[in-house]
Amino acid sequence: MALRWSRIAPQLALTPALAVTAVAFVGSIGWTIYLSFTRSRRLPEYTIDWSEWGRQYQRLFNDAAWGISLRNLIVLGLGSALAIVFGFILAAMIEREKRGESFFRTVFLYPLAVSLIVTGAAWRWMFNPELGIENVLHQMGLTFVNFSWLASAETAMWGIILASVWQSSGFYMALMLAGLKSINSEIWSAAKLDGVPIWRLYVEIIIPMMKFTFITCAILLSLGVIKAYDVIVAMTLGGPGQSTYVPAYFTIQALSASGNLGYASAAAVMMLVITAIVFLPLVLLTAWQQRRRAEAVR
Amino acid sequence: MSDLTIAQKAVGGEIAVRSAPYFPRRRKRITGRSIAILVFLTICALFFAIPLYVVVVTSFKSMAQIREGAMFALPGPWTIEAWDYAWNRACSGINCNGLKVGFWNSVAILIPSLILSISLSMVTGYALALWNVRWAGTFLFLLFICAFVPFQIIMFPLISMTSTLKVYGSVWGVAIVHAVLAMPVLVLIFRNYYKDIPQEIMSAAIMDSGSFWRIFVEIILPMSGNILIVILILQITSIWNDYLIGVTFGGFNGQPMTVNLANLITISTGTVAYNQNMAAALLTAIPPLVIYFLVGKLFVQGITAGAIKG
Repeated sequence: MALRWSRIAPQLALTPALAVTAVAFVGSIGWTIYLSFTRSRRLPEYTIDWSEWGRQYQRLFNDAAWGISLRNLIVLGLGSALAIVFGFILAAMIEREKRGESFFRTVFLYPLAVSLIVTGAAWRWMFNPELGIENVLHQMGLTFVNFSWLASAETAMWGIILASVWQSSGFYMALMLAGLKSINSEIWSAAKLDGVPIWRLYVEIIIPMMKFTFITCAILLSLGVIKAYDVIVAMTLGGPGQSTYVPAYFTIQALSASGNLGYASAAAVMMLVITAIVFLPLVLLTAWQQRRRAEAVR
Repeated sequence: MSDLTIAQKAVGGEIAVRSAPYFPRRRKRITGRSIAILVFLTICALFFAIPLYVVVVTSFKSMAQIREGAMFALPGPWTIEAWDYAWNRACSGINCNGLKVGFWNSVAILIPSLILSISLSMVTGYALALWNVRWAGTFLFLLFICAFVPFQIIMFPLISMTSTLKVYGSVWGVAIVHAVLAMPVLVLIFRNYYKDIPQEIMSAAIMDSGSFWRIFVEIILPMSGNILIVILILQITSIWNDYLIGVTFGGFNGQPMTVNLANLITISTGTVAYNQNMAAALLTAIPPLVIYFLVGKLFVQGITAGAIKG
């Protein structure tokens, strides 16, 4: 390429972004990792006692609240996966029955435009033990129903999962709908000619064809679950007790409520490790997809 | 419907064999299966719509009516008392000046961080996509990784840096942190958009003795209309809806509206005024909802493009 003119200008234009990346991301991550080896309390301390550098991590793994956080992370991840299933069902139905497509899309997607704090506020009110949905159901004579999920430690996570699914299903529906629309429409008439039942068509052909969309959804969902914080604040503040703690909430509590910087840093590093575990397949997937595309071109 | 698309393909010459005189059938009568699907979709639509309905009716009720416990009933007398209270007098911490404080804070955060983040990432994306710069590949990969980093791992260093810069605890601190955190994703989006600009255009522009900045202003900017609107919508909604950055960097004077709302709904002392809470929730939700209902399609494009950001 003969890009000879003003070689300096483009390089200079990159400087601010490079500086931001170097300082706010790379440098800051290094800083936090370093802090996680120190005994910093409210203020940072920069001496590392090498005989027990892993002290904060040791404490972390013995902390019951961190154990609860990790378990809730998995519960939330598995529960929120319903949003992908639900999103796929909605997308498939909309795709089969074209009537009212834009109406249903609009209704299914609007929760995504709203802050998770608002979502939490709305669901917190619906789960209200005295005046919420439970009360309405009891008035109707269904006194055996328990719908004040947020009030007890066993069910509080289910309330958060329900609100998350409500908020995000529309997003997965939109991704799935895009995937479904890219499938060649001749498959449908071919299946009709062969007399293949619809459900077998979906299970054996459509879903395998859409595996990239599904994997993308799963990774986006996992990353979203690791970041889940707002919805916890709005619905339960980690309670009752510590039953709805998740790593993101645990880390910020350790920093702002307990003022324990070294400990919070160790928890943040663990969050980074969890993200990396989810992130690695994404990199591999992108590489794989690119190679396939390159092969297709050839 | 699928028959019709096949017919169109046939006309297009793909299966030209049976394309001769083809009359599309009249619209089929509605079948049992269609009805079942529509009923199912309507039930799902109710599931999505009910929380909004409940929030709206609750916000127009008086507390006396709410205590009767009929959550789904329409407001007896409609009253905007709760809205008035939420906007003008609701307490967030020790300040009792209502959500209007947070609203104007949110606006004051939104505007500088939009300008900062979009201008920075636009120029960077342009330089990375269309110019030979050193280490472009490495830098892109680094940005890709940064886009996924959880906020908690850079939270304390950012607090520390913003305090050194004397912007911690103000709307400026929140705005700058928003711009920093959005930068990686936005650069990647802009770069992907610009790299499809044909090399010939760039070569011609360079031949025409166009400098880096002249080409940017005269050629690239006028071509960026679509992507700018998508990014603008993505950024407005995500900054407006943010809670974590606002609560961390806003201090007492720079709290955005979501922080006020969270303080209001999680308050544990005294009697809880649910109608005010719901009015406050709606007030916070109205700006992004208006954008969504006006330009829904662009909104969807934006969130899919920035999906990794969420």
